[in-house]
Amino acid sequence: MRSLARQPMIRISCQQASLLLSQQQDESLTLGKRLRLRLHLMYCDACTNVSRQFAALRLAMMRWRERD
Amino acid sequence: MATEVIDSTLDFRMLAEHRLYLMKVARLQLRDEHLAEDCVSDVLTQAYEKRASFRGGSSLRTWLTAILKNRIIDLLRKQWREQPLEVPGDEGEGAIERMFDASGHYAHMPSEVRDPAELCQQDGFLAAVQRCVDMLPKRIGQVFVLREVFGTETKDICKDLDLTTSNVWVQLYRARMMLRTCLERGGFGHAQPR
Repeated sequence: MRSLARQPMIRISCQQASLLLSQQQDESLTLGKRLRLRLHLMYCDACTNVSRQFAALRLAMMRWRERD
Repeated sequence: MATEVIDSTLDFRMLAEHRLYLMKVARLQLRDEHLAEDCVSDVLTQAYEKRASFRGGSSLRTWLTAILKNRIIDLLRKQWREQPLEVPGDEGEGAIERMFDASGHYAHMPSEVRDPAELCQQDGFLAAVQRCVDMLPKRIGQVFVLREVFGTETKDICKDLDLTTSNVWVQLYRARMMLRTCLERGGFGHAQPR
């Protein structure tokens, strides 16, 4: 069975996924983009790690700001 | 009369208590010690002059930060006007391209961050992040700080700095990608770098 993630229109590269991960921190993504990103993260460990790195960055800047 | 003098002295002292905090932020944003000093002095003077308009609904620090942000946006507009980039917004493009192979996959596996919350409690990590932000190409860093330290919405960054939405997205994307590679070299999943 052909998985949905393997279809060219839906499958995105890590480069595209990373751009969406960044954009997601600034805006809400359209449904299509959200879906493509979710599917990509299901099979991609690299982008899953990047997603957590981005989360750590945001949190770090918050903590940095709170410090005296 | 005497009471009034004491009150205003206290008032300025209260404002000045936030000076170091404002300096820290201004320095990260402007990357110039003298400019940051002048900027923070202006902010404190301005705040003192309009102290009657502080209603106390928000904290004093929040109020001062809002004044600082406006002052910084004025300065950035001036800086950016005076030193236009030859190719606007293309800083850092090559560095990002090199992270991927020809098919758009990561050339190196990004490190796993097991517990972002725990990591962000470490002073060493926060110091590493600050160093990495300081090393970003100047404008990319400035857009990133406006977004992450001041919490400015992207649409407001566009308006304030005359940038297009896609330009701001790209700058923030590059900032985050360069920061993550900078932190790969000591920060993510490592003991305190030095």
